[in-house]
Amino acid sequence: MRALPFSAGQAVLIAGNTLREAVRQKIIGLFLGLALALVIGARWFRDFNFGAPELKFLADCGLGAMTFFGSALAITATAQLFFGEIENRTVLTLLARPVRRSEFVVGKYWGLLVLLGAFCALLTAVLATVLWWREGELMRDFPAAFATGRVVNYAGVAVAGFLGWLKLSVLAGFTLLVASFAQTQLFAVVSGFFILVIGHLQYLAQEAYGRSEAWLARLGGGGLGLLFPNFNLFALADAFVGADLPAWSQIARLSLYGFGYLGTTCALAIFSFRHREI
Amino acid sequence: MPASPVAPQSVSAAAIELQGLVKDFAIGLRGVKLRAVDHLTLRIEPGQVFGLLGPNGSGKSTTIKLLLGLLAPTAGRGTIFGVPSERADARRTVGYLPEAPYFYGHLTGFELVRFYARLSGLGGRALDEGARAAIDRVEMTGAADRLVRNYSKGMLQRIGLAQAIVHQPQLLILDEPTAGVDPAGAAMIARLVLELKAEGKTVLITSHLLAQMEEVCDGVAILDRGRLIYQGRMADLPGRGNRQAMVLDALPPGELEELRAWLAARGRALHSVETPRAQLERVYLERVGKQEQS
Ligand SMILES: Nc1ncnc2c1ncn2[C@@H]1O[C@H](COP(=O)(O)OP(=O)(O)OP(=O)(O)O)[C@@H](O)[C@H]1O
Ligand SMILES: [Mg+2]
Repeated sequence: MRALPFSAGQAVLIAGNTLREAVRQKIIGLFLGLALALVIGARWFRDFNFGAPELKFLADCGLGAMTFFGSALAITATAQLFFGEIENRTVLTLLARPVRRSEFVVGKYWGLLVLLGAFCALLTAVLATVLWWREGELMRDFPAAFATGRVVNYAGVAVAGFLGWLKLSVLAGFTLLVASFAQTQLFAVVSGFFILVIGHLQYLAQEAYGRSEAWLARLGGGGLGLLFPNFNLFALADAFVGADLPAWSQIARLSLYGFGYLGTTCALAIFSFRHREI
Repeated sequence: MPASPVAPQSVSAAAIELQGLVKDFAIGLRGVKLRAVDHLTLRIEPGQVFGLLGPNGSGKSTTIKLLLGLLAPTAGRGTIFGVPSERADARRTVGYLPEAPYFYGHLTGFELVRFYARLSGLGGRALDEGARAAIDRVEMTGAADRLVRNYSKGMLQRIGLAQAIVHQPQLLILDEPTAGVDPAGAAMIARLVLELKAEGKTVLITSHLLAQMEEVCDGVAILDRGRLIYQGRMADLPGRGNRQAMVLDALPPGELEELRAWLAARGRALHSVETPRAQLERVYLERVGKQEQS
């Protein structure tokens, strides 16, 4: 029997090296530092001192920082960590080992997913801590506003962190797909930002086209929606201050949506990288 | 992943076999093609040190990349110990030093060699020991814990050599290994190649330094514009078996004539008289060696 033409061990080694590069080249450090400063500093931006709205503001700041710096990290780290290998020709020595191209691409994917995971996990944990601490202060000072107990749904914070990670991963996946055939790093980075913008704004186009009489426009809108992910969907759990957790079935559907895009971009990236002249 | 190197598929398999290998590169925008390798057929037996020669741009590095499956051939095929180039396991027991190599700057020399060894299936105790031994062999022990980013050109070449030999491959492919390496390093590389040959390994080298190639190679092939224009064994080169060079104390003109006459009487000729110029290298190696010892 022929063994499966894929070795997870090789991909893990490549993922590990990718992570080590991201940490040692301080690619992640800069973005993480900025995002943390924003989350922690948000407390002093404005002093509402009246309960839930302030907590809501803190939460928005935290998730905003995660999306903003996280998107920049996802795009630049993907382009750098993938393209660096081709530009420096380290990919030659790597692929001259018993390493398949699919293992290289998957290794890069895994490395990036873990990198973004660490980024989101850390930010989410810090955000939850800041919220907990401020909530405690407010409860002491304004007991009336917290008659029903704590208002922040901390499971919701965790879900928001997870969905934020999934969104960034999908963005990284698309950027890596472009990088697998792009000739320059700049092209990959610019494409990444395009996808980010399209992913956030495409619902506008879809709404406009969906209402349109012309079937061609409707088809175009539908195609756009199928081709590019709708990043707004992932904002599902943003409203977790004084709100209920979204239904698990909805979270599961959304996860499936995200992982579907991840799997598809990964498969396409492998296909395109297999035929690339390095 | 099995830790032991895969044995050659069959005993009769050549270490390297290229059959009708062609590589066209698309250059320019109008689909103009450049033929970098042109119907190359070559067979290299196991245990040989084989030199691939040729002018710049003659297709040596491209041939190596085709052999390693890094490029897809336009036509033809290559095999390593009988395994087709495009299969990953063809490279299980191969070590490769690319031309003008660059390695991960974020790793130390030791971590780098260790990383490549793991990709080739080394693990456990053999891993660290193997990496140390390979680094010792290329005389980089002192710089093993420095970041590769700060290495000089020749140091990169040396650490590249270490990663190529760390898993004790049956086939070693060195693309201009002596480029940028100091004279002591070049001598070390020549020694290393001969040691590997004594261990029964096969070595494929490209280089422009023909004198060095002549010292270490058993066979050579010369490429020109992608085509094989000469192939032969070193021992068969004309003027090798039946000539000798001697270094004597300088003779006064009279005695030189006497020597010529003496030789002529025996039906032999004195082909050239020159003053040896290889002094610089000797001085260099002597002085540098002394500095290091003191
Ligand atoms: N990726 C590529 N795209 C287009 N042309 C290429 C590519 N790689 C190599 N070539 C061309 O193929 C030819 C052979 O190149 P190759 O690098 O094999 O030469 P070489 O014999 O190794 O030369 P050198 O002694 O300078 O290292 C050259 O004309 C080169 O320009
Ligand atoms: Mg070359």
